[in-house]
Amino acid sequence: MPSPLDLADLPFLREALLELVLLAVTGGVLGAWIVLRRLAFFSHAAGSATFPGLVAADASGVSPTIAGLAVALGYAGGVQRAGRAAGEGGRDHGEATALLLVAALATGVILASDVFESGAAVDRLLFGTLLGLDTADLVLSAVVAVIAAAGAVALGRTWSAVGFDPDGADALGLSAARADLSLLVLVAVAAVAAIPAVGVLLVTAIYVLPAAAARMFTTSIRGLVACALGVALAEGIVGLYLAYWLDVPAGPPVAMLGALVCLVLAAATGRSAA
Amino acid sequence: MSATAVRVEQLAAGYGSEPVLEHVTLEARAGQSVCVLGPNGGGKTTLFRVLLGELEPTAGSVELSGRPAYMAQTERTRLDFPVTALDVALMGTLAAGRWWLPPRRTERDAAAVALERVGLGDRAGVRFGELSGGQRQRALLARALVQDARVLLLDEPLSGVDPASARLINRVFDELRSEGRVLLVASHDVESARSFDLVLCLNRHQVAFGAPAETLNRAALQATYGHELIVLEDGGGTRAVTVQHHEHGH
Amino acid sequence: MEVLDFLVDPLRSGIDRRALLELALVGGFCGALGFWVVTERLAYSAESLSHGLLPGLVLAALAGAPLLLGAAGGALVAAALIAFAARDPRVGPDTGTAVAVTGLVGLGALLALAPESPQRLEELLFGDPLGVTDGDLAAAAVLLVLGGAALVALHRPLSAAAFDAGGAAAVGFRPALLRLVLLVLLAAAVAVAVQGLGTLLVLAVLIGPPLAVRHHARSPARAMLAGAAVAVLAGVVGIEVSFHAHSAAGASVALALCAAAALGSALRPSPGAGRRGAWPRSRRRAQASPGR
Repeated sequence: MPSPLDLADLPFLREALLELVLLAVTGGVLGAWIVLRRLAFFSHAAGSATFPGLVAADASGVSPTIAGLAVALGYAGGVQRAGRAAGEGGRDHGEATALLLVAALATGVILASDVFESGAAVDRLLFGTLLGLDTADLVLSAVVAVIAAAGAVALGRTWSAVGFDPDGADALGLSAARADLSLLVLVAVAAVAAIPAVGVLLVTAIYVLPAAAARMFTTSIRGLVACALGVALAEGIVGLYLAYWLDVPAGPPVAMLGALVCLVLAAATGRSAA
Repeated sequence: MSATAVRVEQLAAGYGSEPVLEHVTLEARAGQSVCVLGPNGGGKTTLFRVLLGELEPTAGSVELSGRPAYMAQTERTRLDFPVTALDVALMGTLAAGRWWLPPRRTERDAAAVALERVGLGDRAGVRFGELSGGQRQRALLARALVQDARVLLLDEPLSGVDPASARLINRVFDELRSEGRVLLVASHDVESARSFDLVLCLNRHQVAFGAPAETLNRAALQATYGHELIVLEDGGGTRAVTVQHHEHGH
Repeated sequence: MEVLDFLVDPLRSGIDRRALLELALVGGFCGALGFWVVTERLAYSAESLSHGLLPGLVLAALAGAPLLLGAAGGALVAAALIAFAARDPRVGPDTGTAVAVTGLVGLGALLALAPESPQRLEELLFGDPLGVTDGDLAAAAVLLVLGGAALVALHRPLSAAAFDAGGAAAVGFRPALLRLVLLVLLAAAVAVAVQGLGTLLVLAVLIGPPLAVRHHARSPARAMLAGAAVAVLAGVVGIEVSFHAHSAAGASVALALCAAAALGSALRPSPGAGRRGAWPRSRRRAQASPGR
């Protein structure tokens, strides 16, 4: 078993550690809102939908970050418009969304067989990487963390009001609609920031699972944010260590750890519906 | 066959820790009609669900002559499911068993006859969602008729129905009673309750049960409907009207 | 004739012939079952099941056991975990399911990416119709026959319950039991279909065909038959494209299914005729609420 201190000593691991810490901050702050506003599927979908864009970016030399952001923002806008059209938070479009995701993944695979020689590159996009993180990724994660924190402070009350009473939110006016769109946009951008480290498929590992675990023992929003932050940090660091030890990308260990923690906490604080 | 078709003793039922229905006791004989009055949330639909066997009671007992037929409120049906009026009527034949086979000739005939009886003979092939409100209610009545049950549970059969359909439906009710069947009709309409044999007033617990003359007094109605009750003083006497709340979807 | 040759070429290859057969059998059943998946709003369950069985698949691949076994076992475990997680009232089904599925996918990926594992993750994720074994074909045939028989036998009760759960209960069917039967059929379909389409893409064969036909079918039976036909056709198109363009087979089929859904939705009949067609629109029914 390698020494945990390697996380601080080895340069590439230091970068990975910093990345996961930054993502954990977002995971705590935004994650609380993702769980409260039932955006888990949306955050997963936003991540997965960028897959073909990222493959194409790799092929054409465009920055994957830009490509990913473009797709994710488009997705967020589309979901919000569809949601307002359906009038029910877009639940009527659940099947169309799911099919869109499948199409995105399938397109990515088809492109990938032309673009990539080995499956390893696809795995990197799907599940993240320890070694391939660069400064641009760190910068994006830092920026997202700052914006997420600022956004939550400024718009948290509106996000809460809209979540509590979506129909009544219309009465709150345009500012509420814009606040809601900004939440979706923020989640979509955050998803893109997480992709280099945890991959397209496991964005929820750092954004949803810690907050879900926190939800098991706290109900106040502040408590939720604080606990989600703590859990995300712990899971990120331990997950990174496991990834280093087992020589796998960071996404899978963080995901498994997150789910286990949720399960244990759910059973321990056992108030599941009969 | 005993003359008592429905007997309920001290029934209680609920969906969780809170009982929605308590202390319900009633008895109805062949050929009688019972009007179940009560506000929304008062337990009318819950009572029906228990009688249908859909919900287990938490206390008390239920005795029924055979499996009851059920006429739902159209709000509980799916308007966009692609079935015709005839298909809906045919659903009643599922009670007779052999559901894994397609409907037999006799079953199709019975469904067609039921549709004729409710005046939908010429609309048998029309999509359910395209029928008018009154026609939909009649199609659901046809489904209940096809079952040929001794006891019929009818959940607000006349709500949102045009006068012509209402007359037709009431005529069918009279026929059913003369055939010796028992009708339990959940309703909002206090005035129409006077024409029933028996009235059950429900507001989460049983307020009153008996002949209309005894039960439809001010005290009982007040206890049942509370602030939903409006009493109008006419020249000839008083009439009671209730404020109806229709919750469409949730 | 050149065009005919062009179309028939895949059939000359034994591998593609088997792939076509597999997709026809699987597509036939899933395209029909898909009607109930969409009607009963089981798409999220279907997606979660298909993603969640990944660890089962990987374990089977590592152990050299038939993938079908791994898929079936994985589906059972996933179903149980998802049911447990989704029921927690503190986070709701959306988050609960996400927790269960994310954990399972993470576990599957972990097992597959650990250096000792044979690199088959792509196949398991995106399917490999060209790698179909005799066992897979047999399983697909059994699924079609038994599953199809179940759908036929249960047709009337399922329709009655979808139309009006209370009315179905009144004539002696328990809607909860019917739903459970649907979930079992769904799990079986997913477990078999995963060989060809992979955990990430298998959803396409379950909801693509029903979405393609929903504005055009006039009855549940016709919707199911049309769905089956669309699924088989998309399978053929996918294999043809994959053969001639050398693209990944599973992904090509999945794209064909998505294209069918998009096409079918776009080709809505005109509003005059269309009121008949629109299903399932927003569910206008009061959920059976306590009291009232």
